[in-house]
Amino acid sequence: MQSIHRQTAIGLAALLVSAIIILIVIPTWVSSPSNVRNIVLSPVFWPYILSGMTVLIGLGLVVTGFYSSENLTHEPNDIPGGYRRLALMGAIMVITMFALPRLGMVWTSMLIFVATAALIRSSHPKTALICAVVVPLALYAFFAHVASVAIPQGDYVRLP
Amino acid sequence: MNFLDNIAAGLSLVGNLEAFAALFLGVLIGTIAGAIPGMSATMAVALTLPFTFSMEAITAILLLLGVYKGGIFGGSIPAILIKTPGTPASSATVLDGYPMAEKGQAGKALGMALWASCTADLISNLALILFAGWLASFALNFGPPEFFTLILFSLTIIAGVSGNSLLRGALSAMLGLLLATVGLDLVYGTNRFTFGDPNLMGGLNFIAVLIGLFAIPEVLSMVWEPKPHVGKTRSLGKNSVTFAEYRRCFKSIVRGSFIGVFLGSIPGIGAAPAAFLSYSEARRKSPVKENFGKGELEGVAASEAGNNGVAGATLIPLLALGIPGDVITAIIIGAFMVHGLQPGPMMFILNVDIIYGLFIGLIVSSVFLLMIGSVAIRGFKYVADIPRGVLFPGVLVLCIYGVFAVNNNIFDVGVMFVMGWVGFVMLRNDIPAAPFLIAFILGPLLENNFRQAMLMSGNSPDILFRGPITWFFWALTLLTMVAIVRAGIRATKDLKKKNI
Repeated sequence: MQSIHRQTAIGLAALLVSAIIILIVIPTWVSSPSNVRNIVLSPVFWPYILSGMTVLIGLGLVVTGFYSSENLTHEPNDIPGGYRRLALMGAIMVITMFALPRLGMVWTSMLIFVATAALIRSSHPKTALICAVVVPLALYAFFAHVASVAIPQGDYVRLP
Repeated sequence: MNFLDNIAAGLSLVGNLEAFAALFLGVLIGTIAGAIPGMSATMAVALTLPFTFSMEAITAILLLLGVYKGGIFGGSIPAILIKTPGTPASSATVLDGYPMAEKGQAGKALGMALWASCTADLISNLALILFAGWLASFALNFGPPEFFTLILFSLTIIAGVSGNSLLRGALSAMLGLLLATVGLDLVYGTNRFTFGDPNLMGGLNFIAVLIGLFAIPEVLSMVWEPKPHVGKTRSLGKNSVTFAEYRRCFKSIVRGSFIGVFLGSIPGIGAAPAAFLSYSEARRKSPVKENFGKGELEGVAASEAGNNGVAGATLIPLLALGIPGDVITAIIIGAFMVHGLQPGPMMFILNVDIIYGLFIGLIVSSVFLLMIGSVAIRGFKYVADIPRGVLFPGVLVLCIYGVFAVNNNIFDVGVMFVMGWVGFVMLRNDIPAAPFLIAFILGPLLENNFRQAMLMSGNSPDILFRGPITWFFWALTLLTMVAIVRAGIRATKDLKKKNI
C-alpha cells in the first residue's frame, strides 16, 4: 500500500503555493497605498482572500486524499524516454524565446518545426521537412501582408 | 426598435458575401479540425482566433461560431469510423456509431449524425433567439451586487462539474482568479504581482493564456507519448439514412435537442453530459432498448442531438449576461473583447445589429453544416491520414504566430509556453483547465463588481444580500455546492466499500 495519493500530493502543492503567495509574494509584490481606509477596498484584499481560499481547498484535498485510491505515479508510458523528450521540448521552447528576436519568426519556426517533428519521431520525415518550410512562410505571408502584423524579421535574412 | 427593425439591422450587417463566406469557411474549418483525431473543437476555435483580428467584428465572430458548430459535428466522424471521438462531446456517439460501422453501416450512422446535428443545431439557435433577449432585458435590472452573486454562482457550478472532483475544479478556478489579479489594480492603479516587469502591468494576455492552456498541452502530450497511428478507418458502406429512419428517430432528436438546450444554457455543463443524458433517455424510452450499444441508429441520433443542442444554447448566458458557459464560448468572448465589444445585457441596447446579425448567421450556419457535413463524411479518409508527426509541429508554429499577432509582443509567446506547461501538469493530474480559463476571464469582473458594491454600500456586506435576485443566486450557489459535495461524499463512500 502506498503512503501518499495523488489527491494528497496536489493538496500539499496547493498549500505550499498559497503559503508562498501569502507570506512572500503578496507582501513584496503587491503595493497598497497608505491612505486606503478600508481593507475591503485595498489592492491586497482580493489576493489574500483568494490565497486563503486556496489554503482551504488544499486542506480539503489533503484530507480527501486519505480516502482516495488514486496512485501518485502514473501508468508507465508505452514509449519510454518521456521525461527526456519533455526536457528537450522545454529546451526547444527556451531556445525559441532567445532565437525569435535574433533569427526572426519565420526561420525560428522552421527550426522548431523540424526539431519537434524529430522529437515526436514523425513517420513522414520528408513531409515534415516540406511543411517546416511551407507552413511558416504561409503564416508569414498571411500575418505580414494580410493582417498587417509586424512579424519579427531577425538580424540576418529579411523577407519581403 | 421592434423585432422586425432588429432583424433588418442585423441583415444590413451580415447581408454580404464576406460575412457568409466567413461563416461557410468557419463551418468547413471546424468540421475538418473536429474530424482530425487529436484536434478538438476548442483547439480549432482557439487557433482560428488570431486570424480574425484584422476582420470586422461580426465577420470574425461568425467565423468562430462556424468553427464551433462544425467542430462539434466533425468530432462525430472519427467517433463512428475509428472509435476515437474527435471531441469529448462525441464520446456518446461511439457507443452505437462504431458498432454500426463494424456492421458496414457507417454511412447510415454518419448520415443520421449529420441530420440529427443539423436539426438540434436549428432548435438550439431558435432557443437562443427566443431566450437571450428576454434574459438580457431581465438582466438590465442587475447592479454590481447581482452581477457579483451571478458570477460567483457561475464559477461554483463550472468548478464543480468540469472535472471528476469538486476540489480539483475549485483549485483550478482559484488559480485562474489569482492569475487574473496580475497587473495594475483596478481602483488604485498600483502594481500587483508585476515583479517590476512592464510587460505584466496590463495583466497576462488572455489569448496567450488560452492557447497555452488548451493547445500546447496537446503538443506536450504528443511529445510525452508520440503515438503515430490511430485506429483502423471503417469504410462508409453502401447504406445511407432514409427519411423513414429520420422520422423514426425524430422524437429522440427533438428530446435530445431540448436536453442540450437546457444543459447548454447552464454555465459549465457542456456538450458531453448533454449527449450522454440524451442517449440514456432515448434508451430508456425505446421499445428496443436491448439494441442500444450494439449499433442502434436512434442511439447515434440521440447523442448527436444532445451535443449539438448545446451549441446555440451556450451563447444564451454569453450574450445575455456576459458569462461564458464553456471553454469555447470563453474563447468567443475573447473575440468580442478584441473587437472592443462587451457581451452582456447592454449589448442588446448598444449593439443590437450585431446581436441580430449573429442570430441570422447562426440560422444559416445550420444549412452550411448540412452542406459541408455531407461532403466531409466522404472526405474523412484524407483527414484521418494527416500524420500526427506533422500535425503537432504545425500546431506549435501556428500557436507562436497567433499569440504573437495579438500584441506584436514576444513576451506573450513566453507566457503561452509557461501556461502550456501549467496546462500539461493539470492535464496529467486530472485538474480541469476549463474553470481556470473561465475564472481568469471572469476574475476582474468578479472583483470589480465586489468593490463597486462595497463602494456603493460604504463597505457594508449587507448589499450582497439586498434583494430577491442576489438571494436567488446565493441560494443556487449553496444548492450547487451541497449537491456536488454530497455527490463527492457518496463517491468516496462507494470507493471505501470497494476497497473493503
